[in-house]
Parts: sequence; structure tokens; C-alpha cells
Amino acid sequence: MQSRTFEVVVLGSGIAGLTAAATAARQGLRVALVATGPGSIALGAGWLKAESPSSSSEAPELSEAMAFFCELTRLAGCPLAGDFDHPRPMPNYLGSWESVAFAPQRLWSAAADEKVSTAIVGIRGLSIFDECFMAERLNEQVQVAGSPYSYTARQISLRHDFGIPATVLQIATCFDRDAAFRAELIDTLRHAASGFERILLPGILGLHSSDWLLAQFEAELGCSVCEIPTLPPSILGLRLFHRLQSYLHSSGVELFAGFPVHSLPLRQGMCIGVDITAPGHPLTLHGESVVLATGRRSAPLLAETIAGCDAQMRPLDATGAVIAQNLFLAGTLAHSGGGHSADTMRILSGYRAGKLAATTRGAYAS
Amino acid sequence: MESTQVVIIGGGATGAGILWDLSLRGIAAILLEQGDIANGATGRCHGLLHSGGRYAVKDPEAARSCAAENRIVKRIAPHCVEEVGGLFVQCPKDDPAFFEQWWKAAEVAGIESRRLGKEEAHHVEPGLAPDILGAFTCPDAHVDVFRLTLANLEAASARGGKLYTYAKVTSIDTADGRVRAVNYRDERTGERHKIACEIAINAAGGWAQTVAAMAGVDVPVRCDKGSLLVLNHRLSRSVINRCRKPGDADILVPAGPVCILGTSSIEVASPENLSASAEEIDALLRQGAIMIPEVAEARILRVFCGVRPLYVPRQTGTSAGREISRGFFLLDHGAQDGVGGFVSIVGGKLTTYRQMAAATSDCVARQLGVETECTTDTVPLQGAVDRKTHRLANRLLPAPVAHKLEIRLGPEVARVLDAIEARPELAEIICDCEMVTRAELEYVLGSEAHVPVQAIADIGRRTRLGFGPCQGTFCGYKAMLTAYRTHRWTASRAANELSAYLQERRKGQSFVHHGQQMEQLDLNCDLYGVDRPAETHNGAHDAK
Repeated sequence: MQSRTFEVVVLGSGIAGLTAAATAARQGLRVALVATGPGSIALGAGWLKAESPSSSSEAPELSEAMAFFCELTRLAGCPLAGDFDHPRPMPNYLGSWESVAFAPQRLWSAAADEKVSTAIVGIRGLSIFDECFMAERLNEQVQVAGSPYSYTARQISLRHDFGIPATVLQIATCFDRDAAFRAELIDTLRHAASGFERILLPGILGLHSSDWLLAQFEAELGCSVCEIPTLPPSILGLRLFHRLQSYLHSSGVELFAGFPVHSLPLRQGMCIGVDITAPGHPLTLHGESVVLATGRRSAPLLAETIAGCDAQMRPLDATGAVIAQNLFLAGTLAHSGGGHSADTMRILSGYRAGKLAATTRGAYAS
Repeated sequence: MESTQVVIIGGGATGAGILWDLSLRGIAAILLEQGDIANGATGRCHGLLHSGGRYAVKDPEAARSCAAENRIVKRIAPHCVEEVGGLFVQCPKDDPAFFEQWWKAAEVAGIESRRLGKEEAHHVEPGLAPDILGAFTCPDAHVDVFRLTLANLEAASARGGKLYTYAKVTSIDTADGRVRAVNYRDERTGERHKIACEIAINAAGGWAQTVAAMAGVDVPVRCDKGSLLVLNHRLSRSVINRCRKPGDADILVPAGPVCILGTSSIEVASPENLSASAEEIDALLRQGAIMIPEVAEARILRVFCGVRPLYVPRQTGTSAGREISRGFFLLDHGAQDGVGGFVSIVGGKLTTYRQMAAATSDCVARQLGVETECTTDTVPLQGAVDRKTHRLANRLLPAPVAHKLEIRLGPEVARVLDAIEARPELAEIICDCEMVTRAELEYVLGSEAHVPVQAIADIGRRTRLGFGPCQGTFCGYKAMLTAYRTHRWTASRAANELSAYLQERRKGQSFVHHGQQMEQLDLNCDLYGVDRPAETHNGAHDAK
């Protein structure tokens, strides 16, 4: 069996795992990121809802973690901006307004409180998004709020044949690869958007697009463009995931993606390896510290049931004893409450676990 | 004021069967259903078309009528039946004397059966527990209860029978010892209406007692709750019964892409607001795993509860009603309670719905002086799809989609195909589990459909949309947009319908506390902000 050794091994590439890996890598450590696929971040809208920290004692560290995360997204070319004290309403796929604290910088101009005339542009064949539904819903709600600005539905047809039905993945992939398609899209949109200060589109503008590329796109079009997240696959969530993952890769984090971890063998209160099932060549990664950010629902990797975690983010068994000294929990696993935790809390626990994994590494090495 | 000969109260299989039977005899009738079709016991059972095997030992008469009706339903509604066959499995814990009793009783009841040894049983049903002793075969089948109810209603509607859904009966007018009219409220608009009639039929199942009381008649109905689990995948090829005295969790029915395990049996006060406890669900899984061990690890998609409306005649000396069989009771309130023109049909089983409808219609026809005989045992509920349409369906759609569409719509499929030819974008698959196309969705939403759709859940009862693993997370949204695009609903109505639909779907999943379905549920909560069910591991889960 092949084996590799790292200073920190992170399991799971949801928002917590990515943050933990980035935090550890920032300390200059050799980091491995292991994941079967994109985590829950890729299902989401690419923004963080306004959910305040569970206790005020966590607030300072949360601000620090969020500052780190925003900086991370800036370096990754998809800068997130915002703050907890000033959430703004953003349109979602139900045509409702969602209170959002952090969003991609470019997306903020979609907020309800931007007083501009807006075209909602749908794409013929892309049945998951209905511009008329969206406009009718948003208009109902701005009228309630007394705004004089209304939303107008427009539909465009693209020459490119995406089949029935077209999907956001097809369009976004085409956007990434084909400059001619981007040019066509700009032309078509310019026509549809004439007379409007802003257009709202379903999320289709590339799975990998950097903020810079989107700024170019907007400049060529001549008016502000925002995307509305669709149901999964959500391009906005996938884009954030891809940008962060590529950034981690470029900053030296090694990625082991696509194959499941089948066990985390423990010996003498230490996690001694991460066994990966890859057809034909099973692989074991050794980490001085291991961060477990696989979510609550994935197959239990530890023989012990995780009953909670201590202040050092280490997993506890039912008796309250630490299961492994060099194992740290992040994401939903780190929260005692049921269900999914808020994204911002996942970032906080990822940040914390990453720091702890980095500082205590080697402390227990035999 | 509208007027008709007969008003039928209750849109389950029995009510629908009566509407069809009466319309074949040329009797004008209107069916009133308080919700959508098959909303009570009909839509909340295994969907098992009994061979009679289950009752062979205890109740030979019920077994015989099940055996006969099993053959009739397969003949008149083949499109609603999947002939999976059934097994009565001999488990080592059960009484071997019962096995022999069953074998003899099945022969007496006329149930076709073969005795399988242990090896042969494992050969036909590899998922059976290794320690079983053997099995008996039987002609059990799965029947799509929504399809069957709908087929009766559609056939009746084509012959002039009328039905109103979301029409809740509020009172029954009587005068001079006879029913004169039935009053109902349109649950969607709140409007009140009256229908004058000669006869009212109470086919309200679990609500029969309430309805009878409106005419001043006492029909004691005991509600016996059964909880059932929908498990992902078909864990068996045929219906798996446990060969013992009928008890809890001893039937597993493969149904479409899933299978259904049940049931418990607990007396409750009312057919509404039912819930299953965690203990009940654990017990079902434990019992089910004795026959098919894989049940223990299956992904539970949903739990649902229904009530068996059992008729319990009051002990008043003389017979409380005309007992037709041990299974069901036809009560002619004119003869026994002095309320003319009022008939109740209570008890019974889904398998014998047609027989119940025939008995009721015979009684009604006699009172109306109509001599036409019952023909529901021979007239098919749905016509065949002609070869040309069949070829067109396979040209326009992938073969499995075309096949399902033909089964669901019969000859009506031609309309859907016309629409796809005119607008190819309608070939889009909206529900991937049940392979429902946008064209079919537009058809059931449209005015050509015999039974109108008022909510997203109603679409599910017409097409099975949302019955698969996603439980409506994705297809519910797409169905909502479709209803909006066809101008059936405004944007805000559509959004409200989606939210109501997701809440309803969530209730059926709120007990799920582990495994992949919980992940699905988390996703659902994250996407729509639907309330997350409380996550406890031991406490009772409210699964209304």
C-alpha cells in the first residue's frame, strides 16, 4: 500500500474543510485535502446568510475568522464582502428576498435596496429559471415596500443548441471555455437590457470565472449584471468552491479528490492514518494532525461514536474522553446542535480547527 | 341549485367505484370529496391487491371474495396492477401447524398456490432471510391506488358522472323521512352549494360516522391506525407476507421504484392528524427484517399513516346491518333507521372495492327502479393504446418514459404526444424518479383532465411526481413553475403552493433520523428554509 506523510490532513471539502486547509497552509505547513466530491458549499447560493454568532463570546473570533475567509476569497479571485451588522436582501429562486451578510462583491448590486430599473433575463430552453415568475414575485414585494422601481421580464435566445432542457451547467461550461459564446451572450444581453440600469440573470456565468473576468464582462456589456442562484447545481456555489479549491492547490495544498476514505485507524489515542479507497492503488495518508470536516451524515469513519467535542475541537466519546489527541472536528461535526449549522459557524470551526491542528502538530508525535 | 339522482360522499376507491358503476347503469350521480382523490384509507395503504391468502385461515369468506376480486381487477384495470406475485414465507419462529392450515385453506378459498422448499424460495426471492423454512406462492399483486381511483373517476366522467374535489359536505337535508339534498363547501373558495338528490351514499370511510350523523343516523366506525414505511428501492421481487396469523409489519410490497412495509395496528380517535411514533417505526423495521434482512439498512423515504375504518355494529339485539361478508357492510338507512334515500357502505378492503361498489349500486338502482345489471366486472376501465400511438410515443420519448406514460394515460396519451410534437420542449423530464414529462404535467394541469388539480400534491396523485427519493425537492419546484407557466396559478399562489407542498412532504419525513434521507432532508431545509424537524434519537417523532 502506498503511503504519504503530511503535517495536516483535512477530510472534507465543504466550507469548513476548505477553511481549515487554508488556515493550516497559511502557517506554511504541508497540507493534504481529501474529499469524495464538492461539499455542501457547492450546493448553495455562494453567499452567507445573516445568522449571528450563537454566543457573544464567539464574536471576536468569528470576526477574525470571517476576515480570514474574506481575504481567502479575495486571493482566490472571488472576493466576498459584507458584514453581520448590515445584512441586505438578495433575490433567491423562490423570488423571495433573503437576508444575506456576505456575498460575492459583484453580486451585491442585485440587492433589493439598490434603486435601479431592472431587467430579469431568462434564457430560452433553460426551464429551471422563469423570468416572468421571478419578476412577478419581486414586483409584488417591492410594491409592498413602496419602491417605485420595478422588475421587467425579458427572454433571450442563444444560437448555441443546448438541447431540451438546457441546464445551467451546460451554459456555464460553455461560458468558461468559449470566448465566442461570451461575446454572443454580451451582444444578446445588450439588446435585451437596453433601457435598463441592471440585469439579473440565472447563475450561468461560468464555473471558474474570476471576479476580474466578470468585471470585464460587465464593462463590455455596459450595465451591471447580477446572477440569481438556481436550485442545485448552483453555479454560484460551484464557482466559489472551484475558485477556493484551485487557490488552495496553487498555494501548495495537495488534493486527493474523488475517492472515499474508508477508515481512520486509531492507536493509543492517536489517529495514525487516513485510508483511502482508490481502485487498484489503495493509499494511506499520515498526518501529524487530522481535521475531520466530513459532515454529520457521512459514513462514520471512527469506530467510536462522536458524542461531542472539547474546547480544543477534539472529538469526545460518550464518556467524555478524548477519542484521539491529534484529531480535530470542524463544520457540522463540531456543533452539538442538530442539523446543519450556519455557514459562518462552519467557517469559524474550520478556522479554529485549522489553527489548532497547526499549533499542536507534533506535540503528541511519538 | 344543482340536482341529480345520487350524491356520493367520499372520493376513495369505493366512492369512485360507485360513480363508475352508476354511470354504467345510466344513473346520474355526483361525487363529493372533501380533499383530493384517495385522500383517506385508499391512498394510505400498501397498495396490495390481495390474493386472499392473508385471510385464508381466519376468514374464508373474505379470502374467497379477495381471490375473486383479485382476478377481476387484474382483468378490468391491468394498467393499475403490477403482477409481481406473492410469497407466504415460513419463518422458524412461527407455528408450523399454521403453515399446513394455510395450505389447506388456500385450496378451499380457490387461491392458486405452490409450495416452495427453502432452496426454491431463495431462488425466486434471493433477499429472504437465510433461516426461512420455505414459502407458498400466491397471486398477490401491487395496485397503484391513485391510478385505480383515478381510472374509475375518469371512466365515470367520460360517461357523464360528475365529481367535485375539495368539496366538504357540511350537512344533509332531510324531510319527511327522506334525504332531499346535500350541502357542501368549496374548500378552496369558501363558497357553499346545495345539490338536490334522491339518494345520498355515504362512502366516507374513516369519516363515515361524521357523515351519517349529518342525516341523524348512527354508524359506529372504529379508526384503526396503521403506519407504513416507504423504503428506497425494491427490496423484493414479489409481495412478501409472513405465514402466520396476520400481525404487525408482516407485508412488504414492491411498488414502482420503491417498496412499502407495514403495518402497525393501533386504535385512534379520529382519521385526521395521524402520527407514527419512533417505537412504532423501529418495531416495523425489526419485524420486516425477520423476512427480508436488508430492510434493517434500507433508506426510509417516508412514513405515512392511514386508518382502517372498521364498522362495529352496536349490540342492539337485532342485526345492526345487512352483513354482506365479514369484510364490508352495506347499511340501508331507509329500512333500518327510517331515513330514506340514505345508504352507507363501510368496512371492507381496497381489494374488494369493486364488489362494495357493485353491492351499493345494486341497492341504489333497486330503489330508483333501474333494472340494469352491474357490468363493472367485465368493462375495462381504460381502453388500449393503438399501435400507431404506441409507435409515436416511442419515437418522441425514451422507451421507459413512453411506457410509463402509456400506463398512466391510456388512449389519452395521444393528446400528450400531440403536444410534444407541436412543442418539443415539452418532452423535458420533470420528475426523474417516476419519469414524468412536462407535457404530462401540462395535461393533468389542463382543462382536458377529468379530475382537476388544485395543489402540487394532487399532481403527485395523478402522476406519482415527487414519490421518489428527492420527495419533491427538485420536481416540486419544477412542477410549481409549470403550473405558473400554464397560467393556472399566479406567481404568489405558485410560491405558496410549493411551500405548502414541501411542508406536507416534510411531515412524512420528520421521523427520519439517520442515513442518506436525512442528508436529503438537510438539503431540503437549506434550499427552502423549510422548518427542520427536531433531531432526537429516542423521543417520539411527530409525523403527522
